[in-house]
Amino acid sequence: MWETVAQAVINGLLIGGIYALVSIGVTLIFGVVKIVNFAQGEFVMIGMYISFFLANQFGIDPLLSLFVSMPVLFVIGVLVQHFLIRRVLGPNDMPQIFLTFALSLLLLNLALMLFSANYRTVHTSYSDEAFHVGGLYIPVAKLIAFVVAMVLSGALWVFLHTTDLGKAMRAAAQNRDVATLMGINPNRVFCVALGIALALAGAAGSLLMPFYSAYPFVGQVFVLMAFVAVVLGTLGNVIGALVASLMMGVAESLGIQFVGADSGLIVVFAMLLLTLAFKPTGLGGGRAR
Amino acid sequence: MTKARRDSVSHRADLGQVVLKRQGRREFLLKTGGILAAGAFGAVPLRGWAADPVNIGALYPTTGGMAQIGVGCVAAAKLAADMVNDAGGIKSLGGAKLNLIISDVQSDTTVTRTETDRLITGNKLSAIHGCFASALTLIASEVAERAKVPLLTGSSSDQLNKGHTYTFTPFARASQFAQAQLRMSRLVSDKPKVAVVFENTAFGTSTSNGLREQAAAEGVEIVLFEPYSAGFTDASPLINKVKSSGANALFSVSYLNDLILIVRTVKQVGLNIAINGGSGGFVIPDFYKNVGKLAEGLQGVAHWNHDMDANAEKVNAEYKKRTGEFLFEYAGGLVAQTFMIADALERAASTDPQKVRDAIAAIDVSSGYAAMCPGGKVKFGPDGKNIHAHPVGVQWQNGDLASVFPDEDRRAPLMKT
Repeated sequence: MWETVAQAVINGLLIGGIYALVSIGVTLIFGVVKIVNFAQGEFVMIGMYISFFLANQFGIDPLLSLFVSMPVLFVIGVLVQHFLIRRVLGPNDMPQIFLTFALSLLLLNLALMLFSANYRTVHTSYSDEAFHVGGLYIPVAKLIAFVVAMVLSGALWVFLHTTDLGKAMRAAAQNRDVATLMGINPNRVFCVALGIALALAGAAGSLLMPFYSAYPFVGQVFVLMAFVAVVLGTLGNVIGALVASLMMGVAESLGIQFVGADSGLIVVFAMLLLTLAFKPTGLGGGRAR
Repeated sequence: MTKARRDSVSHRADLGQVVLKRQGRREFLLKTGGILAAGAFGAVPLRGWAADPVNIGALYPTTGGMAQIGVGCVAAAKLAADMVNDAGGIKSLGGAKLNLIISDVQSDTTVTRTETDRLITGNKLSAIHGCFASALTLIASEVAERAKVPLLTGSSSDQLNKGHTYTFTPFARASQFAQAQLRMSRLVSDKPKVAVVFENTAFGTSTSNGLREQAAAEGVEIVLFEPYSAGFTDASPLINKVKSSGANALFSVSYLNDLILIVRTVKQVGLNIAINGGSGGFVIPDFYKNVGKLAEGLQGVAHWNHDMDANAEKVNAEYKKRTGEFLFEYAGGLVAQTFMIADALERAASTDPQKVRDAIAAIDVSSGYAAMCPGGKVKFGPDGKNIHAHPVGVQWQNGDLASVFPDEDRRAPLMKT
């Protein structure tokens, strides 16, 4: 019995690491730029296709293609902020919602047109390998993805707390007007925030590639979990999103194990509703907005 | 113009059929004007220099979601027509050649209705074969039934045989597939304990219910019957359940992406279990391209396989030369169907669809390309089902599908996984 539970927890934590990369991006954009990026999942999809084509055409390991997908998506993020989001930042929320939603639909359908709806997989030497400890097993590809996800999250935390740019970002997140008065250029900070968030999505894509198939709708699968994690972990709170993502991974896994394989998400959403009922601002705390 | 459609158009032109559709008005006037003028002077003997070709309709989706299989079907249909023609055509009709008229049904039921109608009214057809997907074939068979043109199909839906007298199904029916799959589990163990996992939509639910209903009669114990939501992110919890159920065989009624995750996870867990993926998308070359080495040893069921006899192997070799892939069940089946039509034409000695229909109904072959199916015999019952039809159990071995079940159809030993 304990073995089954332990295995379910391990599975949940490992997939939670991927949810974390996606949700941290969403929460960072929300915290700093104050917009909800509905297209985050599609950037994961782009990351996956970058890794797929690098592996397929040049035989590059999906993990090494992190060094391509992250910079490419960083640049895309800067461009999206500079040419699209900057123009709709105003007192009205509606254009921002429509912009990112339209971007999501556009990217999804472009992918359908360019790559077709087929599933693409990359097979690496470690794709099917697993460490066996006692009666438990830990898949190598997922473990690598989890460790890299944690390292990237840690690096982001260090960046936000120790560098000038990171501090400027947090300052802009706390109060944009005061930050501007202190000489912080908001558009520059927003560009970097978008870049980092999309680079994380790209990293999630590359890390997924050794064990998950790429297809145009793949982003939708992960973005739903990301949004739940962002709300659960308090909007704009990076650590909150990380912790909530891991919790959700475990909740989903336990749900599938003990409730039913078609109802794993019930546990996740029950957890969300309970949290919102008792702590409306999310687990990350902070005052209500 | 997609490649497939270009091919189909150019193929029609090859065979000298005048295709009015898609020609410019000017071109049309030039040609018809020329022919009329020539006719007026009595200069060109338009017909009579050779036997009139026999028009055979082929309905396949060469665009849209089912295009991948549809394009393979068209390649096989052309190959089959070439084979009949190269062997001298229909002798009782003065060596008449088969003229294949291909129509793209675009993976869409509405288009299938209009295209079938257009194909039948626009051409004097003797018979039709198509459409591979049951949903499309059901529509096409309705139209063909009303127009009284015989239709042969490899689609497996049992519904196709209800109240139809012009629809013929030479291969196994859907109801036979579940039984074959259950019996295959005995290859693995004398006391099969089967875990059935299925995605919780209509396809998964109906297929898995079919398995559950027949399990007891086949002496198979189902130890886990678990629906899951399609498109999950992680198969580990599901496989955890399979592991704790103590099953020695796993039936996965899944779409491709989920199946890949399931197969990978089973391997990671180190679970020693025989996986059976059923039919359809599981037994086409594309599956192996997507899954790669992981597919090795996986079992499935098919209504046709290319290793059945020497004839099938010969057709497979030729198809491989043309397309680079092995002849998958549907494409191979329709080659046999083309020869059944040729056999019927030969006996009917007429291109009249009614006479061809009667000749197909009276077919009784046990050798040659027309008998190229599991069991090696074709004879239709009053409902249009081949009374000898049964599915064949297959296994992925070295990137190819090998027949492993039942004993009389086995061409390779079961690979232990």
